[in-house]
Amino acid sequence: MNTSNQLKMTVYSALFVALISIGAFIAIPIGPVPIVLQNMFVLLAAILLGPVWGITCIGVYLLIGLAGLPVFAGGTSGIGKLFGPTGGYLLGYLPAVFVTAAISKGLGKKLSGDIIAMIVGSLIVYAVGVPWLKVVTSMTYTKALTVGMYPFIPGDGIKIIAAAYIAKSIRPIIKL
Amino acid sequence: MQPKTADHKSDQTPDKAPGNIIDIQAVSYTYPDGFQGIKDITLSVCKKEFILLAGKNGSGKTTLLRHLNGLVLPDSGQILVNGKKINDHLIATRKTVGMVFQDADAQIVGDTVFDEVAFGLENLKFERALIIKKVTQVLEELNLYDLKDRNPRALSGGEKRKLAIAGVLVMDPDIIVFDEPFSNLDYPGAIGVLSTIVKLNRTGHTIIIATHDIETVISHASRIIIMADGKIQQDGDPKILMPMLESYGIREPCSSKLGFGIQPWH
Amino acid sequence: MALIPFAFRPGKSALHLLDARLKFFLICLVSTSMLSASFVPCLIYSLLLILFFNLARIKVFQLLISMKFFLLLLGFIFLARCFSTPGDTLISAYGISISRLGVTTGFLVAFKFLLVMMTGLLFSGTTRPAQVKGAVQWFLRPIPFLPEKRVAVMISLSLAFMPIILKQNQKVADAQAARCGNLEKNPVKKIIRMVLPLLKKIFLCADNIILAMESRCYTEDRTDPEFQPSGKEPSFLLGSLILAFVFIVL
Ligand SMILES: Nc1ncnc2c1ncn2[C@@H]1O[C@H](COP(=O)(O)OP(=O)(O)O)[C@@H](O)[C@H]1O
Ligand SMILES: [Mg+2]
Repeated sequence: MNTSNQLKMTVYSALFVALISIGAFIAIPIGPVPIVLQNMFVLLAAILLGPVWGITCIGVYLLIGLAGLPVFAGGTSGIGKLFGPTGGYLLGYLPAVFVTAAISKGLGKKLSGDIIAMIVGSLIVYAVGVPWLKVVTSMTYTKALTVGMYPFIPGDGIKIIAAAYIAKSIRPIIKL
Repeated sequence: MQPKTADHKSDQTPDKAPGNIIDIQAVSYTYPDGFQGIKDITLSVCKKEFILLAGKNGSGKTTLLRHLNGLVLPDSGQILVNGKKINDHLIATRKTVGMVFQDADAQIVGDTVFDEVAFGLENLKFERALIIKKVTQVLEELNLYDLKDRNPRALSGGEKRKLAIAGVLVMDPDIIVFDEPFSNLDYPGAIGVLSTIVKLNRTGHTIIIATHDIETVISHASRIIIMADGKIQQDGDPKILMPMLESYGIREPCSSKLGFGIQPWH
Repeated sequence: MALIPFAFRPGKSALHLLDARLKFFLICLVSTSMLSASFVPCLIYSLLLILFFNLARIKVFQLLISMKFFLLLLGFIFLARCFSTPGDTLISAYGISISRLGVTTGFLVAFKFLLVMMTGLLFSGTTRPAQVKGAVQWFLRPIPFLPEKRVAVMISLSLAFMPIILKQNQKVADAQAARCGNLEKNPVKKIIRMVLPLLKKIFLCADNIILAMESRCYTEDRTDPEFQPSGKEPSFLLGSLILAFVFIVL
């Protein structure tokens, strides 16, 4: 990779670190509940940046949260949050981004492939987040699923479809 | 095309003339989408000139300027800075040719005014103590020292533009290139930036300013180059070329139109 | 200009001058040990926080107002705990009951969240961004295969992008409102209409930043940040250790 391309990817990844951080504060009112866009930016980072830079991006995001900047969901931060009840969702971003990016790449960065990739990615986030929630709070699995996954599924579906269309229009502009 | 104006007495050989700091030889550039940004440009710049690059929007000024410090490399032809081909000496070129971009916001990299100015020196791996010394000196020179701890994005338009100048000045360039330095500035902001530029020229810097609105700077320029359709159309003494401006879509300064010749803008 | 709540505020307080690496470590220490703390130590710590905010000349009240979205969220956390914690009933109506234990634990959890957040804000408010990223770079250095300088640059750039994104987002939202975009019912279209213009705009911004960095000779191999210990590090370390001890034991 030449230095110029490396700089481009560094800047674009930093841009997504910022989007994911700010995503905790940007909400779009849909129906009675505002939808928070943080996890959509995580999925977009995966399909636009690819596996390696996607992971870097999430790693840096987790780092600045650890460093005390309130960028985790709801404006929180710190090691306590990362290892608290909802920390699993944050750590789940790492494998999720890698797998989403790899699938999207493998399926030729097409609309349908991206949607499949992002569905798998979202499931991975829950696959890490829900058991984590269960263990830390000693809930039952049924309860952990009812508070930690089911309510978010409709919103996730909407975000995945939107993200797929957004990626389709952004790719030719940024030439990735 | 004759690259020299009448009042520059240096010799006419285009290649490595001692006074020439930039030599552009038959440079063309085509954008990836097939649009030809500049066409067969040949041009020499002498030390300490104050050049006004005029032309309406889309005439290729920005494209040409970006070639001067290697942000865009030509498809054909070559560019020499201080006699050296820029393709092979990118870092040296970027130290010699400082670039102040049009969008003042989009060139801010640092988190405070001080860090923003230090950015270039950090890239050149200067010692920290020397960085602090040089940055302090430049901030004082441009009257920005009191703002050193401020968030650069929260500055006024004029201050931001001065900060951008400080960011390249700290690297000791010989040439400073400005892309539309007065756009989006109010009158006092523009005056402040203009007097800074004029001062830089007096302290020996070669100045190249691209603008579609020449009124602000024309009285200081030693040479004007008019571009249209990616080509150089005219190159010479501002007083002589003034009446031709409107035919290239550039607004002629009022004073000249009214028959008063070139008047300083302030 | 949209100012993010965790912007650096220049100053000369003891916290401002403290070595960023130590500050970073203390934040981790205090926020982790607080998780197991009971109410009284938390209360004492909150007074300490207010003291330090005052010393740093940061207005706590204004800060809280700028975080009202977060405070609302704390309210939800409190309510969720109230309803979901079993125990002897305090109030009961319409088949929902609130337990005494629920109210107290809910309050404590929300209070701790607030304290962790305020601790983070105190850190980011009193530490130059260059020093924050310097500290991160310093802690990452021993880890092999990790390009700590690139990470440091990414942190700095992402901090630069945040206010730009907030500002652009506001602009897009205003433009949508002006064109009655709010009436859009299809949620997918609604998201696309908000996010696509935002992304186009900020990627353009990113391209300009890339050019500006290249033109100033950007490389990853840059001068390292420098730390200047203020001499008060040992006392701050001791104080924080005592605090952590109190949090864990009491
Ligand atoms: N990235 C690009 N891709 C394709 N065409 C471009 C690009 N940037 C500029 N152009 C085109 O090149 C021409 C010259 O642009 P520019 O150098 O920016 O002109 P000026 O600075 O004089 O306004 C314009 O017609 C513009 O549309
Ligand atoms: Mg231009």
